Amino acid sequence: MSRVLIIGYGNPLRGDDSAGWRAAEALVRRPWDPGVEIITRHQLTPELADAVSGSAVVFFVDAGLGDIPGTVTCSRVVPQTPPNAFSHQLSPGAVLGLARELYGKLPEAFTFSICGERFEMGEALSQKVAENLPELVERVAAMAGAAEGARPENDSAQVNDWVVPDR
Amino acid sequence: MREKRTIVIDPVTRIEGHAKITLHLDEQGEVSDAQFHVTQFRGFEKLCEGRPFTEMPSLMARICGICPVSHLIASAKACDAILAVRIPPTADQLRRIINMAQIVQSHALSVFHLSSPDLLLGMDADPAKSNLWGVYERDPQLARDGIRLRQFGQQIVERLGGKRIHPAWVVPGGVSEPLSQQDRDAILASIPEALAIAVRTLAWFKTISETFREEIGSFGNFPSLFMGMVKDDGRITFYDGKIRIGDATGNLLADGLHATRYYEYLGEKVESSSYLKSAYYKPKGYPEGMYRVGPLARLNVADRCGTERADQELAEFKELQRAAVLSSFHYHQARLIEILYCVERLEQLLNDPEILSKHVRAEAKPNALEGIGASEAPRGTLFHHYKIDEQGLVRWANLIIATGQNNLAMNRSVLQVAKHYVHNDRLTAGMLNRVEAVIRAYDPCLSCSTHALGQMALNIQLLSADGQVLDEVAR
Repeated sequence: MSRVLIIGYGNPLRGDDSAGWRAAEALVRRPWDPGVEIITRHQLTPELADAVSGSAVVFFVDAGLGDIPGTVTCSRVVPQTPPNAFSHQLSPGAVLGLARELYGKLPEAFTFSICGERFEMGEALSQKVAENLPELVERVAAMAGAAEGARPENDSAQVNDWVVPDR
Repeated sequence: MREKRTIVIDPVTRIEGHAKITLHLDEQGEVSDAQFHVTQFRGFEKLCEGRPFTEMPSLMARICGICPVSHLIASAKACDAILAVRIPPTADQLRRIINMAQIVQSHALSVFHLSSPDLLLGMDADPAKSNLWGVYERDPQLARDGIRLRQFGQQIVERLGGKRIHPAWVVPGGVSEPLSQQDRDAILASIPEALAIAVRTLAWFKTISETFREEIGSFGNFPSLFMGMVKDDGRITFYDGKIRIGDATGNLLADGLHATRYYEYLGEKVESSSYLKSAYYKPKGYPEGMYRVGPLARLNVADRCGTERADQELAEFKELQRAAVLSSFHYHQARLIEILYCVERLEQLLNDPEILSKHVRAEAKPNALEGIGASEAPRGTLFHHYKIDEQGLVRWANLIIATGQNNLAMNRSVLQVAKHYVHNDRLTAGMLNRVEAVIRAYDPCLSCSTHALGQMALNIQLLSADGQVLDEVAR
């Protein structure tokens, strides 16, 4: 199992929704310690709870909605028990909650989201998302690198230091 | 005397698919008819026209996010026919492996994620709890098993095809890359756990199925024909073989039919109420030629599986009813037996040293202007049929998918469930759940619509003949 798990997710055929996927593809080209695993997914499904539960730190990288396209935000993921719902698509909090519920493990987890502008059919990113994708990649890389290099498992005190303030 | 009424369930759907159910009540308030309508239109055949035939496998895989491998394989086989090549034996075996891996993950999704709330918590469970999370609370081991089995299938697809969804590894003439020893060994190492899960889940299911006697009796429990592929010796097969059609008494109506001549014995009827065509067995006519496909049908027409544990389970399965196993509730058990068979068979195939052969693709240019490919998908027999022009561009395409072949039986099943459970003009959650559950037993692939139990955007209205809303349930 990986110590650091990076999940880039979204639909690579729906414009800016591919940003998380593209960020993961950029990250996987970098040299990483074997303890770092980077995967891409169309959406978050219950199966991810297994991999998440075996990791010390998890980063969910996605595109989102918001006011200013291209803005990168980071936030801590709080485990959730979803309402009476199931679909093929879970939230990061639901995946985390599932990891806790089924495997008794609760890794530190963060979302990195870039605000998208267009989600229509097509592989092209909007200009603002394309311009800011490198920032998304660098911020994830910085946090993942810190987690990979220094973090003892279950030491939440240090994790707080790694959260890069949103710009 | 009361007036005739209609109950409309609209939508029975979720994001990718749209369907509705109409229940017609007579003057006494009893159900007189039922229809299952698929209201989405996709038109994939039209999208293909004008595209190079070599694009078909990867394009067709986009039809579905759950069973893309099935479309990939049927499409590649149709393209093999256009090339008029015989693909290398190792490529043939590798295609079988990826197809069975997908069947395992798709069946696991159906059993563990979609139907287990009904099976574990009961059909009348509180809708707020009748979902995957309710299962997690009640039986976390079952939930973990579902996750592991899905992963098992997905990881094989990913190792072979390069990605879990929409892999493009199956190509006209074979597969694009050979299997590495590292991947072969990794898959083999995961088999014991998958086998253990399959065995214990089957044992669990057979225990709880005893509590569903009423549902077994009313969930699509009627005579019909059954169709599936078998090998020449009568063993089950998912990749190729001859078509066999059996009836409700267990007799064979047809055997040794060539899948490439499907148009001679299968017809499709278009009803104005649905975009989903209804397939039927031509010699019996429409709608008497209603037949079922998928796990229940495959196990009904096959003589044996050919692996030790699955054969034991198949023998027991065939004792469930006097002749053919008719109740669609038994689709669940059939699915679990097929999972068991796939895991056992995967181990056999992967232990063949030839599976690592580097010769996995035959190259050719088009040698025919028409090709038909067929295979068994998780939900039933799948046909792809293409005609191309001299430039290799697709000019005509026809797909016959499993859900369409089950359409008549699904309609009949909804009617049977409604007649059994709906007897007045008040709607109950248990009734609604059973209508959904019988559709779910078929695991239709018109969008995973019937998969989203517990949170379906379900809106049912009871209307009077003049359109007045008499009752309404929504969630």
